[in-house]
Amino acid sequence: MNHLPQAWGRPRDDIYGAYDSSYLQSHGPNQHTQQPIVTGTSVVALKFKDGVIIAADNLASYGSLARFTDVKRLRTFADTSVVGFGGDVSDMQYLDRLLNSLDTEEAYSSSGHTLNAQNLHTYLSKVFYKRRSDFNPLWNQILVAGLDGESKPFLASADLLGTTFSSPSLATGFGAHLAQPLLRKVAPDEEAAAKLSKEQALEAVKESMKVLFYRDARSLDNYSIAVITKDGIDLKENEKLEKQSWAFADQIRGYGTQIN
Amino acid sequence: MTSIGTGYDLTNSVFSPDGRNFQVEYAVKAVENGGTSIGIRCKDGVVLAVEKIITSKLLKVGANKRIATIDRHVGAVSSGLVPDGRHFVSRARDEAASWRSTYKTPITTKDLASRMGGYLQAYTLYSSVRPFGITAIVAGWDSELELPVDGQVGSGPSIGSGGKVEGKTYGGPGLYMIEPSGMYWGYYGAATGKGRQTAKAELEKLDLAALKLSLQDGVKEAARIIYVAHADNKDKEFELEMTWISNIDGPTKGRHQEVPKDILEEAENLAKKYLEGEDDEETKDDDKPAEGDKMEE
Amino acid sequence: MAAMFSQNPLMNGPNYSFSQAPTTAGDGFKQHSFYPYTDNGGSTLAISGNDFSIIAGDTRSTSGYSINTRYAPKVFKIGGTTSSQDDATLVLSVVGFAADGEALKERLDTIVKMYRYQHGKPMSVKACAQRLSTILYGKRFFPYYVTAILGGLDEEGKGAVYSYDPVGSYEREQCRAAGAAASLIMPFLDNQVNFKNQYMPGSGEGHALQEREKIPLPKNEVEDLVKDAFDSAVERHIEVGDGLQILIITKDGIEEKYLPLKRD
Repeated sequence: MNHLPQAWGRPRDDIYGAYDSSYLQSHGPNQHTQQPIVTGTSVVALKFKDGVIIAADNLASYGSLARFTDVKRLRTFADTSVVGFGGDVSDMQYLDRLLNSLDTEEAYSSSGHTLNAQNLHTYLSKVFYKRRSDFNPLWNQILVAGLDGESKPFLASADLLGTTFSSPSLATGFGAHLAQPLLRKVAPDEEAAAKLSKEQALEAVKESMKVLFYRDARSLDNYSIAVITKDGIDLKENEKLEKQSWAFADQIRGYGTQIN
Repeated sequence: MTSIGTGYDLTNSVFSPDGRNFQVEYAVKAVENGGTSIGIRCKDGVVLAVEKIITSKLLKVGANKRIATIDRHVGAVSSGLVPDGRHFVSRARDEAASWRSTYKTPITTKDLASRMGGYLQAYTLYSSVRPFGITAIVAGWDSELELPVDGQVGSGPSIGSGGKVEGKTYGGPGLYMIEPSGMYWGYYGAATGKGRQTAKAELEKLDLAALKLSLQDGVKEAARIIYVAHADNKDKEFELEMTWISNIDGPTKGRHQEVPKDILEEAENLAKKYLEGEDDEETKDDDKPAEGDKMEE
Repeated sequence: MAAMFSQNPLMNGPNYSFSQAPTTAGDGFKQHSFYPYTDNGGSTLAISGNDFSIIAGDTRSTSGYSINTRYAPKVFKIGGTTSSQDDATLVLSVVGFAADGEALKERLDTIVKMYRYQHGKPMSVKACAQRLSTILYGKRFFPYYVTAILGGLDEEGKGAVYSYDPVGSYEREQCRAAGAAASLIMPFLDNQVNFKNQYMPGSGEGHALQEREKIPLPKNEVEDLVKDAFDSAVERHIEVGDGLQILIITKDGIEEKYLPLKRD
């Protein structure tokens, strides 16, 4: 045995093989993110009469492993906007810190002017586009919810490629397939969204979260939900899905062990 | 001025035979001519106030702020050379931001004071630079909540190893004053600039060590003290600038902000009313010696 | 257990990772799997007339089979001096990768604005067309993945349409369709705008007929052509639909129209 202090706690080569230090090499091409590692799944959001509702579950997955079950994927900015993150969690943390420093710099001037959700979305999409153009993407799809310059409800999406769009209802990831149709049913266009009450919108979003939990294997029944209006943000980070019914599961045939 | 003619005052970083750095002492003189700045440490927040002498009627009222935000929860004000104060602020912001990027948590007021103390001290060591012509007051509220690191996603174990510690308290108000020599102390109440003697005398009456004074009252006291301290300098007009940092439950939610207009005006009116009362008393017995700068030496 | 006591003869006793010089990576470099482009579907169309230009585009944005939104404009006023762009004289349409389209639009808009401030007059379509080509070619080896069309009125007041490929090759044309349904709309335009394959009945022997005389179309007829083109494209292409945005440039300014398209 080697008793040198340098060896303490190190894996032995005769058992584990030599350590592969190839990643330490500085020559060769620059290595950038090529895939997300720890990931969050869908984010869903819906505009209504006085604001926007946004929700995301509290799970961070490591591949198919439910790795962290208390992860807050809704991030607030300046008490006026909420960013919902899907995709890589470490990139989310980086962006959260970036937004923190942006908020601090905004506070240097005492004008009282703050960046609204629309400003925030423009900023974030430019960060995403810059990073994708450097071939070093931030692996997220995000929804930005809040109010625009005219204090009207604002909701928009941005992703790792810098692609942006806005709509009365939005959903990322699996939600784009499962939740968006449900949300579009209650808010097919801006006019319809502008007539929705908060209660109607809440119901539609919660129903979407439930459907996602039923069918998205990388989802959780613990979720965060935020209501953003001109009065501020009402953020709840530890909600539980209500009134689940798994009766339908009984009818599923053809995937896995069963007798009949 | 024992220093004049000896030659030991012509270069920074050079000691005189009796162990003084005259350049630093001259810097202190620059501070002593500056508008009065004060800070008050209250039980639920901290107040900063400055007497901004109006040098020209052409300057816009309320523009040209003298109190700066360093980080969301920290503010700073200085007396002395204004451009030196600006550089102080710029460096303090860099320190706060770099602390955040290293430790992923906001810098405490104490740590910021330490960093800035070290920075100012370095300007006493080299002949190629001069010391800062300011004394700065740094005020902050370190969050009383157990803060997550910036970007933290979960809340960690609720009990056991790495879990929550029962009854542990965090944060609170912080108030530090940093002098041109780099020396800094923590204070219950701090004052610098032309009217510091008067201001200090007033601050001492408040029994700030008991930590009973509320932020709301602290704002009124701060305004009053600036007005009282200005009374010795009546020929010049001034503006009162005030900022505050409350606790999480208070009006600023732990952030450094300007004191809102209505509260500022109320405090100013009270201060003016107080001074009127003072004048009446003074006409009765005006045998008080004028407090001069010489008393300090 | 055996492994614990086995001595590796080559290493002369147990060895530890810290003492090893970096071992080399396997042969060949790792490939980046990140692909920086995507296709957001949609189609655009531009037709120039005698004293007007019309540029139109649908407002659907897609990712694969999903609709991102039913309202994402692809046609933009360029070089106005206000945020509402009321005093703009040029119009740019971009279709393909929307993020590149947005970046290209922002760049051209800034350049045309700067030109206006520096020269005290709006940029001509001709100058802007050349400038746009330069911008696109500037990213020849990492292109903006878009098909751009630029429209305006030329120095004589005639309608002008310039069309581009992603790396800046361009020409002035009578009309052009681009994007997902370009192959559906372009032949229709050839026939209806340039009267291709239209002959005058009884003007010759057998198939040797005289071509139909080419005449510039009036504005209202062109507008109808645009609507018909998109209604037809919507029927046959899944990435086209939801809404139709039409910008009409005349000497009086730019008129904007929005019409609903089928949302299926």
